[in-house]
Amino acid sequence: MGNFLGLVRNENMKIYRRVRTWVMLGILAFCNAILPVLFSMVDSGGQTTLWDSVMLTASFTFYLCTIFSVIVAADSVAGEFSWGTIKLLLIRPWSRSKILLSKYIAVILFSLLCTLLLAAVAMLASSIFFAGGGESSLIGPGESGSAFTFRYLLCDYVNLFMTVAIAFMLSTVFRAGGLSIGLALFIMFAKGIFASLFNPDRYGWAKYLLFSHMDLSGYLKADEGPGGATLGFSLAVLAVYYIVFMAVSWYVFHKRDVAA
Amino acid sequence: MQHEPVVRLEGVTKKVGSRTLVENVTLDIPPGQVFGFLGPNGAGKTTTIRMMVGLTSISQGDINICGYSIKEHFEKAVANVGAIVENPEMYKFLTGYQNLRHFARMMKGIDAKRIEEVVRLVGLGNRIHDKVRTYSLGMRQRLGVAQAILHRPRLLILDEPTNGLDPQGIRELRDYLRHLCRDEGTTVFVSSHLLSEMELMCDSVAIIQNGRLIDVRSLRNGNESKAEAAETGFTVDEPERALAVLEGGSREGNVITLKLARDEIPEINARLVQAGIKVYGIQTVTRSLEDQFLEMTGGDPIG
Repeated sequence: MGNFLGLVRNENMKIYRRVRTWVMLGILAFCNAILPVLFSMVDSGGQTTLWDSVMLTASFTFYLCTIFSVIVAADSVAGEFSWGTIKLLLIRPWSRSKILLSKYIAVILFSLLCTLLLAAVAMLASSIFFAGGGESSLIGPGESGSAFTFRYLLCDYVNLFMTVAIAFMLSTVFRAGGLSIGLALFIMFAKGIFASLFNPDRYGWAKYLLFSHMDLSGYLKADEGPGGATLGFSLAVLAVYYIVFMAVSWYVFHKRDVAA
Repeated sequence: MQHEPVVRLEGVTKKVGSRTLVENVTLDIPPGQVFGFLGPNGAGKTTTIRMMVGLTSISQGDINICGYSIKEHFEKAVANVGAIVENPEMYKFLTGYQNLRHFARMMKGIDAKRIEEVVRLVGLGNRIHDKVRTYSLGMRQRLGVAQAILHRPRLLILDEPTNGLDPQGIRELRDYLRHLCRDEGTTVFVSSHLLSEMELMCDSVAIIQNGRLIDVRSLRNGNESKAEAAETGFTVDEPERALAVLEGGSREGNVITLKLARDEIPEINARLVQAGIKVYGIQTVTRSLEDQFLEMTGGDPIG
């Protein structure tokens, strides 16, 4: 029955034909271009390297990147319900699972695009103002700047990936874009508080909490994570939560009666 | 094959919590007809349609479309269906054409030529390249019909299609539903609470009330050929004398009304004329669908 890629193209069309999307991408590019300029103005004595600048920029702009991806994810399913177009979408010869999958793929593609744009613009702008070599305070001794930065961005992306999964699930369950954006961003900003409140060093069970593992960047410097966890353990915890989020989305979307 | 029903509802029931929205509806929709689905607001029309297109699960019973169960073979069954459920909501930030492209990609074998053909059929013309945001309700309705017939479905389901349309729009809709039915052999299933509309549009109607199917009837059985007695009115100059001559009937102004079979009408006319009464007009008072409908559902409040 038709071509599954067609469905993904449809979802992409619904993302990129909206002015909103281009405003978001524009803001993201602008912030990544302007931050290295600001760093260069406060940088006294040429202490900052190219990769320092990229990571500092990303540490600010990745929040934007996550927020925008969450907005797109939250609107993906909830938008169809609030527009009423879900009724037209679900009466095509496609199972609901495939329709939801096409939506999820489009959301992930958007988050990847945001991340690539962020990295590309941040690197380009930083390379104008900063030199590549030199000792860095952020990067451990004997490590290549580019490889470290790549791993740093990868950790940020894992964080974003989980937040987007939460937003996508909430969007499917509550069919309300605002609620899912709000809750997902609340989790994004409050997870640090949760992680210190339920510190795995103090409570044994807390090491199974999602919040303790969403930020993997600690493993870049140390082998041991919160509560003595290893990277493998953290990834396993994240994987379990991810599967649960996806299963809930699929189940709810599949069972739901579409009424006015 | 030809007379196999396009849609077969078998004991379809929908329960939500303790409420029964649709109860044990069994209905066959024959091919090549405009089939009406009539009922007051809240009777279960939209719920039934939602079940037919798989938007809502079926509590009991099953619905077969072109031989495929909507429960077991959703994708095959729904491939034969085009529908507008309630209002024709479209992606407002896309143009009409992009909306059609969107739905065309979801189905097999729809090329640019077919899209153009459909745009011409519903008469959207150049406005198809404007954003749907700028469309009037009538234009959205046209776009709604366009997306529904894009894949040449064997069954077209329209839920309250005349809602919010002006008389001109209603007329056009009626015309191209007839065209689809006659020239492309599409079976059209239309729901409405507008009785007079249904009378003009449909070949048959099913009447539903409080979730139960209460009647299915044909509207195209030439009334005259029936031997059934119908109310017949005679407009005369001397109604009092006419009543005496005919020994029966009821009087309303200058009109005498009697219940007569078709063959009796000339006889009665002759008797009146022989008695020297002038007959100005003879009229069979056909009860409109509306009267029949109100009679059937009369006084029963929405449950």
